[in-house]
Amino acid sequence: MERCELGRDDPLYPRQLLSTPWPPERLYVIGDPSMLRPGLGVVGARRATPYGLRCATRFAGWAASAGVPVVSGGAHGCDLQAHIAALEASGPTVAVLGCGADVDYPASSAGVLRQLRSRCAVVSELPWGTRPIRHAFVLRNRIIAGLSYALLVVEAGLPSGTFTTANYAADAGRPVLAVPGCITSPGSRGPNRLISDGATPVTDVADLADALRGAGLRPSEAAEADGEASSAVRDRVLGALLAEPSRPDDLARDLDMDLVFVLRRVGELEAKGEVRRYPDGRYGP
Amino acid sequence: MQATVLTATVVGVRAVPVEVQADVSSGLPGFTVVGLGDTAVHEARDRVRSAIRSSGFEFPNARVTVNLAPAPLRKHGTGFDLPLALALLKATGQVDRGAWEDHSVVGELGLDGTLRQVRGLLSYAVDAKERGLSLLAAAEGAQAAGHVEGLRYAGLRTLRDVRGGQAASHSAPGCEAEKETGPDLCEVAGHAQAKRALEVAAAGGHNLLLMGPPGCGKTMLARRLCGILPPLSADERLETAVVHSVAGLDETSALAGSRPFRAPHHTCSVAGLVGGGSPPRPGEVSLAHNGVLFLDELAEFAPSALQALRQPMEDGHLTLVRADGHVRYPARFSLVGAMNPCPCGYLGDPVRSCTCSLGAVARYRGRVGGPLMDRIDMCVTVARPEAAGLVVATTEERSCHVMARVLSARERAMSRPTHPAGLSGSALLAACDMDAIARRWLESVAHARVLSGRAVTRMLRVSRTLADLDGSPTVGVDHLSEAASYRLEAG
Repeated sequence: MERCELGRDDPLYPRQLLSTPWPPERLYVIGDPSMLRPGLGVVGARRATPYGLRCATRFAGWAASAGVPVVSGGAHGCDLQAHIAALEASGPTVAVLGCGADVDYPASSAGVLRQLRSRCAVVSELPWGTRPIRHAFVLRNRIIAGLSYALLVVEAGLPSGTFTTANYAADAGRPVLAVPGCITSPGSRGPNRLISDGATPVTDVADLADALRGAGLRPSEAAEADGEASSAVRDRVLGALLAEPSRPDDLARDLDMDLVFVLRRVGELEAKGEVRRYPDGRYGP
Repeated sequence: MQATVLTATVVGVRAVPVEVQADVSSGLPGFTVVGLGDTAVHEARDRVRSAIRSSGFEFPNARVTVNLAPAPLRKHGTGFDLPLALALLKATGQVDRGAWEDHSVVGELGLDGTLRQVRGLLSYAVDAKERGLSLLAAAEGAQAAGHVEGLRYAGLRTLRDVRGGQAASHSAPGCEAEKETGPDLCEVAGHAQAKRALEVAAAGGHNLLLMGPPGCGKTMLARRLCGILPPLSADERLETAVVHSVAGLDETSALAGSRPFRAPHHTCSVAGLVGGGSPPRPGEVSLAHNGVLFLDELAEFAPSALQALRQPMEDGHLTLVRADGHVRYPARFSLVGAMNPCPCGYLGDPVRSCTCSLGAVARYRGRVGGPLMDRIDMCVTVARPEAAGLVVATTEERSCHVMARVLSARERAMSRPTHPAGLSGSALLAACDMDAIARRWLESVAHARVLSGRAVTRMLRVSRTLADLDGSPTVGVDHLSEAASYRLEAG
């Protein structure tokens, strides 16, 4: 694990950061500094729904396999999922921390951070060994926004810390992309609001590829096409669950079906991996 | 002059035979009781002295020694008052030597000679019957003792009555206590999934965990489980009533056939939950024998208390080992747990946002502990009902209708060669009789979910119950998939 400190005048210091309103004085980097080339920021709620985690996996995995570094914050939830997807795609990814780059925080991310340090890069503007401080996490969001040429917001409630990252991106003139979600889902209120404020909606990898090209990135053509094209759904239970996550009781009532039938159908769909059980007992994609 | 009287002392839930031997001899006047009695036994001396005098007898002005045999056995309680007094009266010739010869005698005396009922009367009654004796005790216990079939019972009101020597007779069981009809399921609006889970739990005796935000109706649902369980059989009534009797609780509702519903508060100690103390007393798990043990706010219980549940949940009984021997209590119960999804209670709520950190949620869930979670067959999340659904009157199914289905499912389960509680391994597979499709389905799920052996067994047991509810001799994909939907999130 190579450690280096990059001052603003260092040739390895990422150029794209200098064009932001408030570039950090120094960057402390563990790993490969070439990862700090312009990338795609992927951010989202720590307490993400399965939907948010799946979207993070899908888009971050695709971007990384197209050679675009995935920049995120290493936090629990969407951030971590984006890093994992990029690592699994053997693509570039960068974690920007609100503590020293050599500090494992949060502890649950330690394993992924270790992999990032050896295979990709972990960055911070704080000196080695700095313990996590609350306000530093807000400030590191400007580095995530600054390192990226475009920022993708996967899932965020209202209000949410993710919005500060979106604001920093807007201040730096970076386009903001957002994954639209169900209007009844609290976790999708943030992205839906961003879209109504002018962010670019991303519904599949073709949208993302277009947006990245528009932002000046060049995703390689070789990246795998999207495997999740949704086919027509014939099953009424599955169709209803894909449209809106719901509890078996409510589903049975709304579809006017027998509860036991719905329970069995849902159990089967869950076993096939088409739906998942949420912590509150609802089932959804 | 010597005389002996037969009696017993309660160890666990059983009464163990004890012989009271009295010796009245000349010497310095005094009254000693030997044979490892506790404080209550030693205090009996003063009660007996007064009771004898106020009942028109004479207390001997001589040296009185009473031995409780077998001497090494520790003896507890106030039940020795009457046998002590009777032995003394016989030894002094005030009562005929042959009177009450084939009787086991037990009872507490007041200073005026009135006889009181003692704790564990039913244990004494069972013991007397097993020894082929009649029971001589307080008159008020006659009805409860009538439930012990074939027992002859002589009820006395005061010590004076021992002179009469009237014969013991069979007393009729006091059945006038109606079986309590608890709260009815039809009073709960909505919650269809949780009601279905209650029905399945009742049919198969499965342990159930209800998880949901505060005020969503977890407790209300759990209280209605007893109402859909079949009434206690004659043997079960006596088993349950004996435990209640030993604990000094009212046993009439158990004798009337109501299943016990125990809901200890979450500050309950280990000894309170599984039994203990000196002398050992049955805990909540034993008081819930043949009934329901409801642990509300499961995660707030002391971890040590929860872990102590593991043995009784597995074995159906509990053995307390103490320096002076071990005591065994029955504890076959259905566990119903209720807990919030997180400390603030609103994790995953569609409207209110949860304020707990992820670490706090993990710690909260971790308090219940994996081994206990592993023994819970079904987990159902209960949602906060929408306000609109509460004010609209709907026709919900009544408990008695659900109970009818539960009964027929239980009958079907009992008709198989292996008792449902003992189903495991090859017997379970044979009982399920799955076809190739179901088997493949189960294998793929077990593989994809990385299910442990115990988790698969648990799922199969629930599937078997679901098939019984359906009246199906074989377990199919339908049953397996419904059972899979009740699995714990962690499992």
